[in-house]
Amino acid sequence: MPTLIIDGKEIDVKPGTSIMEAARKLGISIPHFCWHPKLPVAGNCRMCMVEVEKMPKPVVACAMPVGDGMVVKTQSPMALDARKGVMEFLLINHPLDCPVCDQGGECDLQDLAMKYGPDRSRFCETKRQVPDKDLGPLIETVMNRCIHCTRCIRYSTEIAGVEEMGAVYRGDHMAVGPFVEKTLSSEMAGNMAELCPVGALNLKPFHYQARGWELKRTEGICGHCAVGCHLRRDHLGGQVKRVMASSCDAINEVWLCDKGRFSYDGLAVERLRDPTVRRNQLNPTPVNWQEALDRAAELLKGVKPEETAGLAGDDQGAEELFAFQDLLRRGVGTPHVDHRLRQRDFSGDAIPLTRADLLMNTPLVKLPTADLIVLVGCDPRHETPLLNLRVRKAALNGATVISVNPRKLKHNLPGLREMVLRPGAEIDFLDLTLEFLKHGGGGTGDAGRLAAALHKAKRPAVILGDYAIQHPSAERLRRLAAALLDECNALGGQWNGFNRVSSRANAAAAQDLGVVPHRGPGYAKLEKSGHDAGKILKAAASGEIKVLFLLGCDPLLDGVDANLAREAMKKAKVIYLGSHRTPAADLATVVLPGLAISEKEVCLTNAEGRVQVSRKAVDGPVEAKEDWRILRALSDRFAQPLPYNTVEALRQAMAAADHRYQLSALDGGEMADPCDHSPVTIGLPLGGPAEKPHVGLTLVGEHPFYQGDGVARRSATLNRLDPGPHLRLNPAEATKMGVAHGQRVRVVQGDRTLEGVAALDPLIPEGTLFAGCGYEKALAQELIELNGGFPAVSLVGL
Amino acid sequence: MSTGTQILFKRIHVANSHTLAAVTALGAYQSLEKALGMSGEEIIAQVKKAGIRGRGGAGFPAGLKWSFIPKNDPRPRYLVCNADEGEPGTCKDRDIMRYDPHLLIEGMAIAGYAVGAQQGYIYIRGEFVHEAERLESAIAEAYAAGHLGANLHGKGATFHLAVHRGAGAYVCGEETALLESIEGKKGQPRVKPPFPANVGLYDCPTVINNVETLSSVPEIIAQGGEWYSKLGVTNSTGTKIFAVSGHVNKPGNYEVELGIPLKTLLEEYAGGVKGGWANLKGVIPGGSSAPILPPAVCETITMDYDAIGKAGSMLGSGAVIVVNKSVCIVRALARLERFYRHESCGQCTPCREGTGWLSQIVSRIEAGKGRMEDLDLLTDICKNISGKTICALGDAAAGPVQGVLRHFRDEVEYHIKNGRCMVG
Repeated sequence: MPTLIIDGKEIDVKPGTSIMEAARKLGISIPHFCWHPKLPVAGNCRMCMVEVEKMPKPVVACAMPVGDGMVVKTQSPMALDARKGVMEFLLINHPLDCPVCDQGGECDLQDLAMKYGPDRSRFCETKRQVPDKDLGPLIETVMNRCIHCTRCIRYSTEIAGVEEMGAVYRGDHMAVGPFVEKTLSSEMAGNMAELCPVGALNLKPFHYQARGWELKRTEGICGHCAVGCHLRRDHLGGQVKRVMASSCDAINEVWLCDKGRFSYDGLAVERLRDPTVRRNQLNPTPVNWQEALDRAAELLKGVKPEETAGLAGDDQGAEELFAFQDLLRRGVGTPHVDHRLRQRDFSGDAIPLTRADLLMNTPLVKLPTADLIVLVGCDPRHETPLLNLRVRKAALNGATVISVNPRKLKHNLPGLREMVLRPGAEIDFLDLTLEFLKHGGGGTGDAGRLAAALHKAKRPAVILGDYAIQHPSAERLRRLAAALLDECNALGGQWNGFNRVSSRANAAAAQDLGVVPHRGPGYAKLEKSGHDAGKILKAAASGEIKVLFLLGCDPLLDGVDANLAREAMKKAKVIYLGSHRTPAADLATVVLPGLAISEKEVCLTNAEGRVQVSRKAVDGPVEAKEDWRILRALSDRFAQPLPYNTVEALRQAMAAADHRYQLSALDGGEMADPCDHSPVTIGLPLGGPAEKPHVGLTLVGEHPFYQGDGVARRSATLNRLDPGPHLRLNPAEATKMGVAHGQRVRVVQGDRTLEGVAALDPLIPEGTLFAGCGYEKALAQELIELNGGFPAVSLVGL
Repeated sequence: MSTGTQILFKRIHVANSHTLAAVTALGAYQSLEKALGMSGEEIIAQVKKAGIRGRGGAGFPAGLKWSFIPKNDPRPRYLVCNADEGEPGTCKDRDIMRYDPHLLIEGMAIAGYAVGAQQGYIYIRGEFVHEAERLESAIAEAYAAGHLGANLHGKGATFHLAVHRGAGAYVCGEETALLESIEGKKGQPRVKPPFPANVGLYDCPTVINNVETLSSVPEIIAQGGEWYSKLGVTNSTGTKIFAVSGHVNKPGNYEVELGIPLKTLLEEYAGGVKGGWANLKGVIPGGSSAPILPPAVCETITMDYDAIGKAGSMLGSGAVIVVNKSVCIVRALARLERFYRHESCGQCTPCREGTGWLSQIVSRIEAGKGRMEDLDLLTDICKNISGKTICALGDAAAGPVQGVLRHFRDEVEYHIKNGRCMVG
């Protein structure tokens, strides 16, 4: 352990540590621009020069490894002189436009210029003019301000894994930008603007919106996917102006994906502002809360308890999820409550599955140490981008990454091996793999290769993603994945590689808190199970269920089968509680306006099962209320009101049901343990009927990355990134059918049709057609039947 | 005039000296044969004893550099020849490659064997089309004759050699930028440490030497390090090619022993300064990066590393640029600074911004719009560049300015005050 002295303070550090890192450990800050703790060292800004005794020249602290007995002086005349020189160089070509620069007030260059910069310039030549770049809808550029620190270049190459930024030309003509004139395609481009130490790369939606020092900053958790990134919502006058990443090494390090960062402009669009009631098929009328709640209670009490059912969105806060099932079970008295609208296979409910079976068991921080990662029905880059970064890290560390998916992935994983399967062929494939694995890992074809990789791996991980979870034979897939890992002894002890990752922000809390028909909060056994989400909709469509209570979800957009959802909502009366308008809210008899994630303090449980609290940043619409309070107020109209009047009391009730929701323990910034759950269930039967692939064109519905939830769907920024409701098919196949890119086509399945625009995509294999779910105007779900497996369709050009 | 000991140019006067047939008769590859009978350590010891210093510019002892390669390291090792001869005024390596490519190949095979490298690269500057072709055909001949390849001279050692052509960037002559360029990346110097001996080409231990250095190795092996160390003077042993250009009557490459008086080199070898010795204005002794020396210094100075260093300049690549009194020193400086501004890679702040600033100021003075405060400003800028950059290009840009301000300040002041040249 080398010992060195920095500014008179002694410290022991690991060999290979840089002076910069050693100084930071001592709390000594050395000024810098290009250095960043999460990026490879470049050593190019030269701002961090320090004096080291016995060295003739100043050295850069960021790149110089410590040596035993080194004596470092960060404030000596040599170091200060060197820094002043660098500062002057950086400023000669930097425009003096701080008053109109978005970065003004929170700019590293501005701050350090105050300390090291001259008060007037000795530069009397012409300043450099650099043309700005068009980097797309997320990043605004003012390249005159660029100080060539290359953080954005290193970020895009090393972290985001897209070599889209570079430096062209040399010397003082060196210009940072995309190699070729094109916009960024990364799903994590916003980080570049956050990394930029000056105002060269700015967040475009924030451009000229506010000054940094005017903003109020509220720490929170992202509610757009199951990773649960830490972020900061900066707001002014009750509006979120921008979202910045918060540092959390265990989850998102210092990054955010573009969905989490830029969705906020969807907050105020198409909000449900007032409670409304619809009488006699007339248009909904705004009413006061008393009247709306009375009407809702009237609806719920007007039928037998078991003729009502509740469906909740799996991106709602834990508080309202808990209160929702509590109200339905205790107040209304119905067992029918579920959150799994996107799921089709509920056969695991009979076991029933444990928390470990349903969530991640490999903590995010450990994922990069895996030596094999198998992505089963999972496109991590476009479901959970920050999880994808960990998979990418594993790949960079030398892990083999194998994709078992119905199409090729648009990925950034070096060396990814892709095994593309026909939809429905997955069960037989994994069965065969398991067979090969049991016989020592030999075998032919992709299954043989997968078995061999599993056989060889010491720390294998399987990630089941949205496709696997929404698969018609999802439970078989899940069991096979667990069985494969069990065969590799990778389900516990030193290493647990089983991971089921729903991309939805709070699916884990919904499982924990009993928003399922077969279990109460805390995985408690129930005397009587209710209907699952599929059965609820079928029962509503058949008239058996007469009142549907929806909490922040829409069976049409979020469900599997649009026709079933439509029929269900036509027959049953709908009570809708949520923040944004949806087709379901349009049909509802009673609409109760709730709040979005950034407008309330809620718990979100991520895919690792880590419970986190997101703070309230801004107020919602005046009449909208915290969702759990609405449920509490509604419960007053029943014989057994909910027994909590404050959020503290509610959380005590949650904690009593599931100890992980003991939030007092999480105060003070401490985080719940990841993957804190019982072992994965093994030994479940693997046989039985399963989905088989069809002959002919098969339709797969996918929830697009930028369309996942109400806020994202309404974000103008994200909508610019979203390709739209295209029908994606293989180019060769399209040519055979005589369909061109961009042509309008009609997809037919029996008596159902869907029209849309064809997109030729080489990632799609022949025989498969991919359509986007959740687009109000062209729903892939129109063609999908809840229990019909993958639909065989035909396609005609128009 | 005596031609003295010739090591590098001893065969270049022979007809077809670039072919294997012509040089085999003159003893080519006999040193390799001898070296293959020695151990790597023995060869390195001989090179250390010879005291030869790197001929590319920095003058780092070659034997010492070779001994930095980590022992018992499982990674492959590489030998890279820096043939990106880009320093303005320098054209010595070109003659070696053009007229005696086998000398370089033999030197590389010996060096590769000595440091345990099985693969070598010659990184040659893009403009050297003819030389690259000569090297390619010489390498083909050497492979055919067993001087390169899997079983050198049938003695089991392996050394492969390939030519890699640059694309015209001066900075790629900097050894780590050169490695980046071979790897297919933009030619930008790397931050050191780590040094190439440990983390070099493809992150493996790498020795990088100049053409002239490697071409001296066969003779060192043939005659012994002891013999070589007696050539030249203390701390500057051996012979060196000086590329004399500018205002002399016989510009050209002259291989002489180090330590020769500059005046002898110019007057006896290079045919004298144009217009006579009295017409000399100054000499840039080691390539354009070396600060200029005034006539009074030129009178007595000897051409060795220590003497020139003491005079505030450097021996560099041995490119001697002679400037007589017809030259406006400000104009010459403006041209040089434009070169460095153009060739700065742009990576690190002091060089990127500093070279541009220096060039703009000197050009402004040259255009008659100078200010007296520019003189202090230039001094400050040079101080803020020197020793603060990733590679030596920044120092190279500052050197000429510092030399001119030290020895020709009056001429610059005249330019500022009168808005025009003192001469012409």
